[in-house]
Amino acid sequence: MVMEGRGLDSPLRHLYVAPALWAALRGGASAGGFVGLMAGLFLAPLLLPAIERAGAGAQAVDGVVALGAPGLLGVIAGHLRDQAHAGARRLESLLEIQRRLTSSVPLPQRLDEVARLIRECLGAHGVALVVQSPEGPALVAGDPHAVVLSPRSAAAWSLAVGEKMYSRDLEGDTRLEAPRASSPMPVRALVLPLTTGEGPAGVLAVEWLGELPQSTAAAAEEMALHLALSIENARLTLRQRHFAAELEERVEAATRRLRAVDHAKSEFISVVSHELRTPITALEGFSELLLSRAVPPERARRFLDHIHAESRRLGRIVTELLDLSRLEAGVAPVLEREPLDLGAHVERQVELFAGVHAAHRFHWAPERPLPAIRADADAIDRVLQNLLSNAVKYSPRGGVVRVEARVVEGGGVEIAVTDEGIGIPAEALPRVFDKYVRIPSPETTTVRGLGLGLSLVRSLVEAHGGRIEVTSEVGKGSCFRLVLPP
Amino acid sequence: MELLTAPFEPARRAPPTAIWRPLVGVSLAMLAAVGMGRVLAGPGGLAGEIGLAVQGTALHGGFIAQGLVLALDGHGAWRPAVLRVTGTLLAGFLLSRLSPWGGLALLAVPVVLRRECRGFPVLARIGALGPTRRRHVVIGLAAGVFLGAHLLVTSSRTFGYSVSVPSLAGYATALAYDVGANALSAEWLFRGALFSHWWRRGGFWGAAGTATALSLTRYLLDPALPPTAEARAGALFYLAALSLVGALLRAWSGSLVPGYLAAIAFFAAYRTLVVG
Repeated sequence: MVMEGRGLDSPLRHLYVAPALWAALRGGASAGGFVGLMAGLFLAPLLLPAIERAGAGAQAVDGVVALGAPGLLGVIAGHLRDQAHAGARRLESLLEIQRRLTSSVPLPQRLDEVARLIRECLGAHGVALVVQSPEGPALVAGDPHAVVLSPRSAAAWSLAVGEKMYSRDLEGDTRLEAPRASSPMPVRALVLPLTTGEGPAGVLAVEWLGELPQSTAAAAEEMALHLALSIENARLTLRQRHFAAELEERVEAATRRLRAVDHAKSEFISVVSHELRTPITALEGFSELLLSRAVPPERARRFLDHIHAESRRLGRIVTELLDLSRLEAGVAPVLEREPLDLGAHVERQVELFAGVHAAHRFHWAPERPLPAIRADADAIDRVLQNLLSNAVKYSPRGGVVRVEARVVEGGGVEIAVTDEGIGIPAEALPRVFDKYVRIPSPETTTVRGLGLGLSLVRSLVEAHGGRIEVTSEVGKGSCFRLVLPP
Repeated sequence: MELLTAPFEPARRAPPTAIWRPLVGVSLAMLAAVGMGRVLAGPGGLAGEIGLAVQGTALHGGFIAQGLVLALDGHGAWRPAVLRVTGTLLAGFLLSRLSPWGGLALLAVPVVLRRECRGFPVLARIGALGPTRRRHVVIGLAAGVFLGAHLLVTSSRTFGYSVSVPSLAGYATALAYDVGANALSAEWLFRGALFSHWWRRGGFWGAAGTATALSLTRYLLDPALPPTAEARAGALFYLAALSLVGALLRAWSGSLVPGYLAAIAFFAAYRTLVVG
């Protein structure tokens, strides 16, 4: 040995620090401390005799310091190296965790990977990750074993109250109702809430076997903080994606509706042109005949009847167009409400239609004498005319049109107009009261109309404070049921 | 994972401990027996030999009993087990006093204790049960051999102490005493029960430090320790190192066996040192 014979005087005795420092930089505090201790122990048989010879004094103190120096330096240097390594590893793990959390793989799988990373980074025995899901039950991931969350567990408690829970030894912790296991080492446990701006978003539960250094516990807390932020970010991203998809869907639906309205309007203009053209042509034709030649009085009267009928039809079309302009402007119809004998009104309308449409059979069946209600007589007439007209238009010749009325709760009156017509497809029912809507069907191509009738009916009923609904079955008929308040 | 499965009640408190009464009882019985042994040992002769045997039995049996009470939290049928172990100890000590090779009977104590442990699975918590890996055994033995060798080299170089085995029977008896009583009771109580108890309630270094301090107190009060200053300083250093190594081995391996083997190896070296 280099010091043999030189003892305390040899400056080379400090060379014993070198292996301790080397071990500390290579293996950390435990390696540095161990090699330092060994260096000190190897140095002792060489230094102690010299100290014994020198007696108590400065040299003895110097010798004792030389004995302790390798171990002390090994521990300190190793500790600093451990801290630096742990910090770097933690940062690396955090970056990896964030990368995993924002990846596109399904969330449960992502959480499993994150739990594994946390366990490796913290040197833990077991890790569980609970993340609250806004759509359903909490998602739970565990490493090395899959886990389930009990609602009475420490993790569930932490999730509910947002507080952390620490146990020095899980097996001896009386707060837990667990069978007492017999592990030769203490099981340290930490449950940390993952708190976001909206409260606890989840829980990080970690178990260690044996020692839990303060720095590791602090690292776990730091990790929980980052996890909470990452989870919040992931949730925001998810919400943004959902919102974008929903928005796209809405825009698409609105575009579809606009296209349908545009199409309906085009069709409407075509129908209006046609509807206007027919009576005008008739008026022109018959008036020219009357003006250009001498017509016998009987024929002239018939021509005048046609002219009268067509001008009335023209008048109806113009009225409907005026109603349309009101509907377009969103102006509620102006009503002149007065006490009205509804039964008599309905009966008169049914009789009128029965007189004009002899091919159909009309049944008017009031439950009992109907009470008078406050309503606009003209408006009610138009409602009934539209409903009866539709029933006739869409029913085969000989079909039955049934009109029923009854008093409903609250003193109002319900009127139902039922036909045995072609019916309305279920998918068209929600749009049946919309403007310009005419349900396309090969059987209704010859039926005249602007597609405004039912829309007008609904606005008039609603202006009275009532409501209207329809039930229908294709091939069997439709039933329009309106309720008017007293 | 119990954190997610076991029912948890944050306000639940630990039930009152039942440990103090049996612990105080065992300690008083131990002191009384040691006192009785001293009285018996006074006049010398056969009674004196019996007295010394009673003292040794009381001390080491008391340590083992205290450790058992601590490990079982004062519950369970620990008395019959203690009686059986103490009986074996007494037989060993008596034989060691009456016959040159009789001390080898003390080698039966760890066997009896190990068998008694099987009746208490919870003793795995102090590292008294369960498998021990080969590398833990090797490291434990290596640590003890290193410390023992270091003691021999350093003390012989520094103080000129010689290393010899004058009587094989004496050496074997001393070694059997370390195996069956000295190292066994120290590992059982200080690294087993006390260190485990404190480690579960705090950090490693606090538990190891406290257990080491108590262990050193026990040795410094031992009348068999050479009374010279350098011997006491050396004992302080090596026994502290041995205790800390024992605690490290216990924490690392989860078993008392490596530390126990380290202590035996160390004392095997120490018994060859001729102090003075």
